[in-house]
Amino acid sequence: MYGGGNTFEKLQTKNVEDEDPQLLAVFEARIERGEKIEPSDWMPDLYRKQLIRMIEQHAHSEIIGALPEGTWVTRAPGFKRKLALMAKVQDEVGHAQLLYSAAETLGKSREQMIDDLISGKSKYSNIFNYPAYTWADSCFISWLVDAGAIVNQTANSRGSYGPYCRALERICIEESFHLKYGHHCVIHMATGTTIQRKMMQEAINRWWKPMMHFFGPSDKISAHTEILMKWKVKMDTNDNMRNQFLDMYVPKIWELGITVPDPKLKKNNESGRWEYTEPDWDEFKRVINGDGPCNAERIAVRRMAEQRGRWVRKALLSPKSKYVTPLA
Amino acid sequence: MESLDPRLNRVNLEDKSLLKPKVALDQFETYETFVQTNENKPYQHEGVVHAPNEDMAFLFAKEQFSRRGTCSGISVCKTENVIVSPTTENGKNIYDEYEPHGSELHEYEKYEVFHLFRRGKQHQHIGQVEASSYDEAFNKSKAIYNNDKTVLNVWLVKTENILFVDENYRDIWHTLSEKQFREATAYRALDKIKKFKEENS
Ligand SMILES: [Fe+2]
Ligand SMILES: [Fe+2]
Repeated sequence: MYGGGNTFEKLQTKNVEDEDPQLLAVFEARIERGEKIEPSDWMPDLYRKQLIRMIEQHAHSEIIGALPEGTWVTRAPGFKRKLALMAKVQDEVGHAQLLYSAAETLGKSREQMIDDLISGKSKYSNIFNYPAYTWADSCFISWLVDAGAIVNQTANSRGSYGPYCRALERICIEESFHLKYGHHCVIHMATGTTIQRKMMQEAINRWWKPMMHFFGPSDKISAHTEILMKWKVKMDTNDNMRNQFLDMYVPKIWELGITVPDPKLKKNNESGRWEYTEPDWDEFKRVINGDGPCNAERIAVRRMAEQRGRWVRKALLSPKSKYVTPLA
Repeated sequence: MESLDPRLNRVNLEDKSLLKPKVALDQFETYETFVQTNENKPYQHEGVVHAPNEDMAFLFAKEQFSRRGTCSGISVCKTENVIVSPTTENGKNIYDEYEPHGSELHEYEKYEVFHLFRRGKQHQHIGQVEASSYDEAFNKSKAIYNNDKTVLNVWLVKTENILFVDENYRDIWHTLSEKQFREATAYRALDKIKKFKEENS
């Protein structure tokens, strides 16, 4: 799972104008031709740093994203749902590992990335800073948060960095199970008893706001990203991805007789774009900077893992080990 | 802290200010993983796992790379044991462009050869050579495996540095059919929606 858009604030890097113009030309021509950039290729500093941050945040989002659903495994209704949810949560943690490795090929170690997550320095998808109170919340996440992630990840898998694209291809295959499983869960609730329907409706009401935040601030207010689009780091604008998500999923929510808590939400058939109440971007910023309902709890779980697993890692570490950057 | 996650309420979390940065290799070394999706296909590089030793690398790789689809074999080797040639530009063949020199001589040993045919794709296992150095192994694989297909990049790994699974343990890959609950196809629900729409229209 992953929510982009929040990853493109300014970075401290070497200016693109100061890069070697010849190397830069070769690099850009390669991307222009549709070829992938591989770890051993020359790349501008900005490209490397931006990718590290983006892939790392994506990895953290998978790890943290597994938490709200993970706590529902033991309470999922029935054996089949438990089995499926467990498999999904395992996939998400596996996604994180694939992504950490992809980021690692760019020169940041997994130790540093995990340190930055548990110290609160790195960001991850904002939506996981909200609580999953009921089983219906877990169903919402499996279906719609994963659906958002798929829009994002499918776009990114056409990007320019080889190791990231390959990880994403693998991830996207697994996401199709998450999406179908999640949809199956929501359909079951929405076509069930009055209480089940009510639970599902309440979950949609709770999650709609963070879901609209998911793709990041509106293009009107987000940082300019032309060069990142040209280098195929960012593949589409936040608003375009949000629009694509609404296009694909709002009709599927409506067909279940569930409403979306935004009276302004409708598709403008002339422009082909969805209209909606402008999300509260101040809240988005506040939450992503640490002041959301679950930020502290999410990080605390990772600190717990760090603390409890420390002796195991220490016991297993061979003194002969040495670190080498993974190849691809 | 009262948490929705019951574990957090039980555990005594260290003060955040006591957090120390991880030590080097806290996450262990990396192992490159090669996967064979069926018995008629070559092993192909799929990615990396972090592990404290070969056996655990294999277990992690099995969890990571054979959860879905088909798999008939996985092998792993430490990243440091992969010797990598340069990569060619503009579709040139590395065997025409590059002459290795200076690698250490030792007894005759087996080497596994991997080729990269296309940028953005992954290395494929091509075969084995016997040689007394990496240089010789490169030259021998040029003599044996270089044909009209352009090779962009070569990986060489000493066979003794790769963990292969014994042919006799093929059964460990035959559990995937029991895991249909991991597949999207196990969650069809169109009938339910249709019925719901009919009843409510
Ligand atoms: Fe995921
Ligand atoms: Fe997912």
